[in-house]
Amino acid sequence: MKLKDAVKIFDEKWVRKPTGFRVHFQKRVDSELITEYVPGSDDSPLDSDVAAWRLAWKLAQVYGNSEKNDEKCMFFNIYVCDDLGNPVCHYATGKPEKFNSQPC
Amino acid sequence: MESQFAKYKEMGDFILQYGKDMLIALAVLTLGLIAAKYIRKQIAKGLGKVISKKAVASTISNILYVLILFMVVGLALDQAGMHTLVIRRILLLATLIIVALITIFRPYMPTLPFKVGDTIKTGDLLGKVETTTMLNTRMKTFDGKTVFIPNAKILQDYVINYHFTPNRRLELDVGIGYDQDLLKAKQIIETILIQDPRVLKNPRPAVYVVNLADYCVELSGRGWVDNPKWWTTKCELIEKLKLRFDREGIKIAYPRRDVHLYQETLTAEANDT
Repeated sequence: MKLKDAVKIFDEKWVRKPTGFRVHFQKRVDSELITEYVPGSDDSPLDSDVAAWRLAWKLAQVYGNSEKNDEKCMFFNIYVCDDLGNPVCHYATGKPEKFNSQPC
Repeated sequence: MESQFAKYKEMGDFILQYGKDMLIALAVLTLGLIAAKYIRKQIAKGLGKVISKKAVASTISNILYVLILFMVVGLALDQAGMHTLVIRRILLLATLIIVALITIFRPYMPTLPFKVGDTIKTGDLLGKVETTTMLNTRMKTFDGKTVFIPNAKILQDYVINYHFTPNRRLELDVGIGYDQDLLKAKQIIETILIQDPRVLKNPRPAVYVVNLADYCVELSGRGWVDNPKWWTTKCELIEKLKLRFDREGIKIAYPRRDVHLYQETLTAEANDT
């Protein structure tokens, strides 16, 4: 195998870099759980998973510091996903993390 | 006395004859200058929305401003009753000569090595260029200070223009203890660089053992990043590196001194005394 072919395999199978990150969360609207993303699908994604996890944490804090019946602040199942929608492991723990886990 | 009176009479006649025209010419000039400034502002604003390059928009609006000024001055002189045809021809010829000279000698003129909007470092000042004039450059530092630097000073000193090339190399330098797993540390650094979407694939990230220092093995991870993202990427990679090292049990070295106490030697010496 030539070196450049080997490098090509690395690029396809290992070095695949996400083109961006979004924060996935769900919120209750009229007793239904609706899934949303920040930034939205029409906006450019974040290019940093660190920034995305920080945003996810802040969204989780909003819920933690609000009144429990304030639907506007009730964000559940908050995690970071890549451009393909796959959950991304937290950069600090190396494990999948989810803030404010709630059954769907 | 009579000659004085005659002089005043002559002045009075002159004012009566030409005063009205002079006043109108002055009014035309004043209003024309105000209108020219206003029109220039509006043109610059409008062009700024259509043309993305600020420098081009600024140049076009400046040229139009000069043309409007010529027209206003010409009108005012016409109103004052002067024959402006010769003056206009001289001004036009002078303009053409200046433009030709600038075009020919432009490559030899000293120019500033940056444009408005570039991030530069000159001396110990780091910031973004806001505007340049004939005499000085206005720069805003990242902590909000506005600095006016004489262009002569800039031309005599070195300037680092961070926008001259699209990307820049970042270094992740870390020292690990001699008893730590060197290969594992290198793999972690390389993985962190490879997995970050902002680190470019070409040139490829690499990790080097750069030195066997007094208290640590010095490693350096090198990767290339787009210029605007350099700072945040470097900070976040350092954060990821520390967290990953902690998780994998690799200790980052810090200066220390090992002291060895030999008990037997001490006891023997004590007995002798």
